[in-house]
Amino acid sequence: MANPDLLESPETDLAEALDLPWLVVVHNDPVNLMSYVSMVFRRIFGWTRERAEQHMMEVHVKGRSVVWSGGREQAELYVQQLHTYLLLATLEKSS
Amino acid sequence: MIFEINDHGNPLFTGIHPLLVELLRAVAVDPWERCPEGSERLLPSPGEDEDLRLDWEDHVQPELRRHFETERSMVAADLERMTEPMEQDEKVGEEKGASLEIPLGHADAWLTTLNALRLALVGEHRFTEADLSHESFPDLSDARGIALMQVNFYAFIQECLVRCLDGEGGEGDS
Repeated sequence: MANPDLLESPETDLAEALDLPWLVVVHNDPVNLMSYVSMVFRRIFGWTRERAEQHMMEVHVKGRSVVWSGGREQAELYVQQLHTYLLLATLEKSS
Repeated sequence: MIFEINDHGNPLFTGIHPLLVELLRAVAVDPWERCPEGSERLLPSPGEDEDLRLDWEDHVQPELRRHFETERSMVAADLERMTEPMEQDEKVGEEKGASLEIPLGHADAWLTTLNALRLALVGEHRFTEADLSHESFPDLSDARGIALMQVNFYAFIQECLVRCLDGEGGEGDS
């Protein structure tokens, strides 16, 4: 059954209503070494070397890579960890 | 300069030229002191959300700065133990150069500290990706050229340390 409140409130924040996840995005910079970025990804996210290198290359080639999505609290924690390793990381609301 | 892993499993650099010794000693310098403008990059914004940005400035960034300071102290202590046998090698008539052993457990502190200084130097001198591409030897007659040499030399040390750490607990399943 449709929720009449939602239907009558077009200004409702759709993202909130749908509970869209937060994204952890890593951005390219010319300084961090590719081997270092890959190592950091493996450490923080527990990825295989192959997966870490795929995301590292995406950062290098496309300028950014979404490395995680989910709840805001955990996303903030990941961004903080990435900043500890001096990677350029931001938190974005999924659209 | 020769890089190897010694019998204790620690990264060891030997035959370090006096100029490179000076560059290594500079790693212990506070990047905020050395490159105040470039050091802004060391504490990036977490995103566009204003509340989050303010929260980051109040809570996360001071903690990060303390962390960087602790790591830098560890590196400074290792540098104090760098040996500098400057006597001439009688057989070949060359200086033997200095040697530096980095305890493997300190490798992370070195990576962080080297990275922080490289980022600060790049920010300070506005080096581009092309500048950092090692395509030409930097002009050492000015401060910018020396800074570029520093950035590249520290990258070499970082590569050596990453190789040492590679395979140590970094693997995992997705």
